Amino acid sequence: MYAFLTGPMLWLSFAIFVIGCAWRVVNYVKGLSWQLDRVPYGCNKDLAVKGALRSIFHWLIPYASASWRQKPVFAAAFFLLHIGLVLVPIFLYAHVMVVAERFGVSWPTLPDGLADILTILAVAAGVFILLRRFGLSEVRIITTPHDLWIMAISLAPLVTGFVAAHQAGDNSGWLLAHIVTGEIWLIAIPFTKLSHVVLFFCSRAQIGVDFGVKRGGQRGRGIVW
Amino acid sequence: MPEGIFCNKKPINTEEDLKALLSDTRGTKYYEEMLSLEVDREKLWDTIQKTCKSRLRTWLDVCARCGLCADSCFLYLVNDCKPEQVPSYKIQSTLGEMVRRKGDVDNEFMRHAMEVAWSRCTCCNRCAMYCPHGIDIGIMMGYTRGLLYSQGFVPWELKIGAGMHRVYRAQMDVTTEDWVETCEWMAEEQQDDWPGLEIPVDKEDADIMYTCNAREPKHYPEDLAEAAILFHIAGENWTVPSEGWEQTSLSMFAGDWEACKLQVQNVYAAIDRLKPRRVIGTECGHAHRATVIEGPYWAGRPDGQPPAPYIHYVQWVAEALRTGKLKIDPAKRIRQPVTYQDSCNYIRNWGLAETAREILSYLVEPGYLIEMTPNKEHNYCCGGGGGFNGIGKFRPQRNKALLTKRDQILSTGAKLVIAPCHNCWDAIRDLEEEYHIGIDWSFLKPLLIKMVIIPDHLKPQDEEGDEA
Repeated sequence: MYAFLTGPMLWLSFAIFVIGCAWRVVNYVKGLSWQLDRVPYGCNKDLAVKGALRSIFHWLIPYASASWRQKPVFAAAFFLLHIGLVLVPIFLYAHVMVVAERFGVSWPTLPDGLADILTILAVAAGVFILLRRFGLSEVRIITTPHDLWIMAISLAPLVTGFVAAHQAGDNSGWLLAHIVTGEIWLIAIPFTKLSHVVLFFCSRAQIGVDFGVKRGGQRGRGIVW
Repeated sequence: MPEGIFCNKKPINTEEDLKALLSDTRGTKYYEEMLSLEVDREKLWDTIQKTCKSRLRTWLDVCARCGLCADSCFLYLVNDCKPEQVPSYKIQSTLGEMVRRKGDVDNEFMRHAMEVAWSRCTCCNRCAMYCPHGIDIGIMMGYTRGLLYSQGFVPWELKIGAGMHRVYRAQMDVTTEDWVETCEWMAEEQQDDWPGLEIPVDKEDADIMYTCNAREPKHYPEDLAEAAILFHIAGENWTVPSEGWEQTSLSMFAGDWEACKLQVQNVYAAIDRLKPRRVIGTECGHAHRATVIEGPYWAGRPDGQPPAPYIHYVQWVAEALRTGKLKIDPAKRIRQPVTYQDSCNYIRNWGLAETAREILSYLVEPGYLIEMTPNKEHNYCCGGGGGFNGIGKFRPQRNKALLTKRDQILSTGAKLVIAPCHNCWDAIRDLEEEYHIGIDWSFLKPLLIKMVIIPDHLKPQDEEGDEA
């Protein structure tokens, strides 16, 4: 079981994740239309690239957009959750060791203590975002079961991984749970709203081009952060 | 009754149909018929499949339901933060549902969607700046309006408005003859004060072709006279086309894309015919949006550019002041608290925030300009944009929406609001009439005429050749 989950199943999960995400991006770009979107794709390339990059940058950097500054607590929760979900798994010592053993490549890792803190903060941020969904009427009204599911799918590998790493004695059960939930998470990404892993960049680049070329960029304005 | 006599899926294409619909006062019968208008579900789903592509689909699907759009929407804030006014909810419960149900929606759903599309969103696009994914609900609501229009679910005034464009290529029944006569009349009227002033019609190769809003020739032709006076003072070589002078597009508010195309093609044909060096539009936000910002795409121009450089009136004013073509008498500068209404259409959606400020630096004595909060690209809609001003059925909602602008103006303490946009100007006039806060409001043209230094050679001379 363990061999299957860390062997073929892991390969399959990564393959579905990578190919699925690539398919979402290709599909997105193919479906863009200058006439339907009323955006001059392919024109003013310098402004377009500048608009797209600025549009992404201002939302990836904490408090670099007016909206983040207006909602400082939610912004903090957002960044903590995403740091825990994206950076911690990639730079976790235990993960890098597995890769090093199998493929002989490695990269710098996070100190375990810091990884622990970031994981706890990410889970706490996820729980906060869930509670916020029910606490604020403007968020409650737009919340769907899908939004709850993807949060559960995303937090499960963090929680199981944390317990597996800290449980004394035999932890194979938690480790298995961690691997399974991690694989579910990877597989879910292309097929759910988690596809924002790539579509965030597509959508932000698109609106960046729209404002950066058509709606103000040619006059030195555009989205004002 | 699947299709009504007045309320149906057919656009208005003849003067006769237009007059018939106009005779149904306030659309009483029209809205009655709408109660039983059938939805062509197959056609609706077919249209959605053909036109709701990457950008819109992704926006609908990827929305994180985080609610950050709520506080960006003035209609949410002014309506006591009702959750039903959250932009994400407004689009997901209308367009989102249409897509999820594959067009299988009923009459009641469509009437509700109509109410949302035209009374809970002015397509100001402010939410686009506040969404982490860059989702622009205003754009999606515009698209939804198109679907609703194609099924006959559109407010009565906008069905008429779109019909006007189809029949007269103008938002009002102003014919080519009416227009040319108005130009002649206005030029004649000014001869005593402005000898030699002309409103040249159909002059080829002029430096400027001027386009306007049909309301100007129809209801306040003095606006046209003022434009002529300012071009005269500035020494511009300008013209107006006999056909293709109307820059606005109620069809854009209605979601009648075919009429949008017909309308803008008419203006572009005038540009092709007269070959002006550039085109200048009047002080109107949506006219600029329709003819300069969106128009090129409707007309099939992938680079998004009209056939000649096409600028907004504020750009011309800023340039004329900068280059000294218009000089302001320092003694006549505004010396009372004044504020500026940023129009969503050419400020947020076309980047003229600083151009407007440049004008103000010439017109207003330092210290008297008090900016609204928020302002420039982040400014709130006047409360009447996107067609909201003109829909009788939604007048109570519109009046409530005006409270945002009222309070923004009140907290500046300004006594005068400069509003170079017909929609904003109307909304501010209406809010003064409704709430009596003791303010004046103005376009740029009358202010400029009061303040500008008139070159000696343009002043009227008496018989001895002295200045009168």
